[in-house]
Amino acid sequence: MSLKDDFPILSREVNGHPLVYLDNAATTQKPQVVIDAMTQYYSTSNANVHRAVHTLAGEATEGYEDCRRWLKDWFNAKRAILTSGTTEAINLVAHSWGRANLQSGDVIVLTEMEHHSDIVPWQILAEERGIEIRYVPVLEDFTLDMDAYSLSLHNAKLVCVVHTSNVLGVRNSVDELISLAHQAGAKILIDAAQAVPHDKINFEQLNADFMAFSAHKMCGPTGIGALLVKDDAFEQMQPFMGGGDMIETVTTSGSTYQTNEHKFEAGTPRIAEAIGWSAAFEWMSKIDLPAHHERLINIAKWTAEQLREIGCTVYGRHQSGDAAVVSFLHPTIHSEDFARFLDAKGFAVRTGHHCAQPLLNRLGITGTIRVSFYLYNSQHEAEKFIETVQYIVERFS
Amino acid sequence: MTYPDVLLELIDEFAEIDDKMEILEYVYDLSDEVVDFPVENWNEKTRVLGCQSEAHLEVSVMDGIVELRSGADAKIVQGMMGIITMAINGRNAEDVLQLKPDFAQEMGILNSLSPSRSNGFRNIFDKVMAEVRMKQ
Repeated sequence: MSLKDDFPILSREVNGHPLVYLDNAATTQKPQVVIDAMTQYYSTSNANVHRAVHTLAGEATEGYEDCRRWLKDWFNAKRAILTSGTTEAINLVAHSWGRANLQSGDVIVLTEMEHHSDIVPWQILAEERGIEIRYVPVLEDFTLDMDAYSLSLHNAKLVCVVHTSNVLGVRNSVDELISLAHQAGAKILIDAAQAVPHDKINFEQLNADFMAFSAHKMCGPTGIGALLVKDDAFEQMQPFMGGGDMIETVTTSGSTYQTNEHKFEAGTPRIAEAIGWSAAFEWMSKIDLPAHHERLINIAKWTAEQLREIGCTVYGRHQSGDAAVVSFLHPTIHSEDFARFLDAKGFAVRTGHHCAQPLLNRLGITGTIRVSFYLYNSQHEAEKFIETVQYIVERFS
Repeated sequence: MTYPDVLLELIDEFAEIDDKMEILEYVYDLSDEVVDFPVENWNEKTRVLGCQSEAHLEVSVMDGIVELRSGADAKIVQGMMGIITMAINGRNAEDVLQLKPDFAQEMGILNSLSPSRSNGFRNIFDKVMAEVRMKQ
């Protein structure tokens, strides 16, 4: 029985062809155990968390908090705030830490490689507060300009940088980025949405102040993610959303708040999703992640080489440590047409700007076709993909 | 709903094709059906927002009769424009405004009709209809 058999969706056909799912940087598929865990929760334990004393509420609370335990164990973190995903996690930092700690004239350092989710929250805050944003350029070899980065850190209060690019698959030199930010006296947030599916990051060892990521890119459900926070940064965060679960007491003259992560989890949380994410962690704990990552980056490298031979331009370097993402363009066939033809043959790929328009502007393009491999993808699927690309090129170019 | 004859014929023709690749190839070929809208005339007002490709169009209504001129850098998107051109050009604006976008799904050329940033057809159709409504 292969690992692929754990994913029921992968046995379906699309347009009369076996599905080859290559859009994993957008979202990964879910193993049966994740689907079962969520169904089981709704079938047997559905209740609201934290407040009631009845049995179901206790089971729901245990299920929800079990996800936090998984997060802390998996990433070696002391503080794990559950959010709706990476985007909300970054927005949470902007609202809860940024509003309390950034003033007019302060500097935030971003990079041209950021996902829009790590740009727009800061632009909103910068406009509101009169904060300066500096963007670190991306070089011809698809890496960050570290000289420019060092210069940009002067007077910086916060650095926000993507661990692994969702367009290029390039893994940035995060250790150096973090070390330099701290030397300059700045806090640093790492957008690890594309990193955590491939790399079991040790948050304490990484030494970043904040790390944001989503469950759905690592076999978990959509609608849930997390923000890991170091203790001192956590103490500097003020409540963002007010309401149930985040309060200690509420009177007509004012409120007091929880002191743990619940302070930032107002409202009924995503209980079924948290339970599903725990099941995903458990499933992934049985996988040799480094071995799979090595296998997948080799598939990505092979695919990139084949695409170049066919005449495509490939954006990325596909080195060890990078994500198994291949972004490319054909000189005459439009990326959107290409993706539709691929879909007609059962291949799910992504096209467009991938929510990273500043990066694409730097590359001088408006979009790419992006193929992204994950645990259940094989070399055989990559070969079928290349055969289909060759057919499309022969027929339409 | 009742479609114009040209659309009914197209729906029938698409119904005879089982293979999705062949459906797309047919849409690809229908890109020739657009009334040319030269790239020099493309601007922010003519751009179809929400398309991944560069898609531009202009609608005129003369004596109540609609004419759509359009073009796109993606051939399949331009093919969808070709289908809309066949459906509305030379027809009365009031009749054109009765048209619903469901025919695209009946032809099997779309996975979804819901408005979204990836739904070029829906964004094209909505822009065409908005312009006809404004200029009738």
